[in-house]
Amino acid sequence: MARIGRAIVRVPRRISKGQVFKVQMVITHPMETGLRKDKKTGKLIPAHYLTRIEFLFNGKKVTTIHSGPGISKNPYFAIMMKATESGTLTIKYEDNKGGKWEKSLKVSIA
Amino acid sequence: MFTRRDLFKLAGVGAAALLMAPGSVKESFGVKKISIDDALKQHLGVTLKDLKQSNLITVKAPTIAESGANVPVQVKANIPVEQVEAIYIFADNNFNPWVTKVELSPMNGEVFFATRIKLAKTSPVRAVIKMKDGSLLMAFKEVKVTVGGCG
Repeated sequence: MARIGRAIVRVPRRISKGQVFKVQMVITHPMETGLRKDKKTGKLIPAHYLTRIEFLFNGKKVTTIHSGPGISKNPYFAIMMKATESGTLTIKYEDNKGGKWEKSLKVSIA
Repeated sequence: MFTRRDLFKLAGVGAAALLMAPGSVKESFGVKKISIDDALKQHLGVTLKDLKQSNLITVKAPTIAESGANVPVQVKANIPVEQVEAIYIFADNNFNPWVTKVELSPMNGEVFFATRIKLAKTSPVRAVIKMKDGSLLMAFKEVKVTVGGCG
C-alpha cells in the first residue's frame, strides 16, 4: 500500500466574504479495523486507522475529527467553514501507527 | 455467525425485528462486541434512553446500503454553531458502535459534517450533538445493509 496519507482537499473556487463554504477531503488510508482476517494466511490484519484529523485556519482550530476504525477505507470528510478572511487552511492528521501528515492550501476570499 | 442467507432474511423481516434483540453480545475473533449503551456511557456518560430525540438534527444516509464498507452519512443541524460543542456518530450494531467525534467551533459557520462509515450489519446510525451547556440531542436513521463491512 503505497502513498498512505495522501490527501486531496477541495474548496470552492470562488468564495465571497461571509459565505459558508464546504471543505471536502479524501485521504488515502487502509483504515484496517484489526478484526479482519487475511484470506490467504488466516491471520488477523493489524489495526491501522486514522485517529485524529485537525482543520486549522490561519493557525486557529476550526474542527477536530476524532476518528476510529468505523470510518470507511480512504476516508472522506466534509465540513463547513465560514469565510472571514483569506488565509491558509492546514489539515493535520495522524494514525494509530504513528503516521503524521500535514496538508496546506491557500484559501482566497474575494 | 450469520450466513449471508440469514442476513438477507433478516433484512427482509426488517428493522423492527432487529430492534427486538438489542444487547446481544456476540464474540467474533475473540473480540467482544461493545453494546451501544456501553459505547454511549464511555463517550458521553449516558445510556440510550437518556437521549432526547430532536427534530433539529437531520441524518442523511441511504435507506438500503449495498455495501456496508462504504455508507455515506451526512449530519446537519438547525442549531447555531456557537452552541454546539461536538457531533458524535454511533452505529448500534458495529463491534465498536462509536464511529467518530467531531469538535466544532464558531468558525464552521453551520452545524454540518459528512463522511463515509462502515456498518457491520443493518443498524440505526445515530448522530448525537453535544451542546455547550452539556445537553445532548439525538437523531437516527435506520440503514439496511445487504453486505457487511466490518467482517
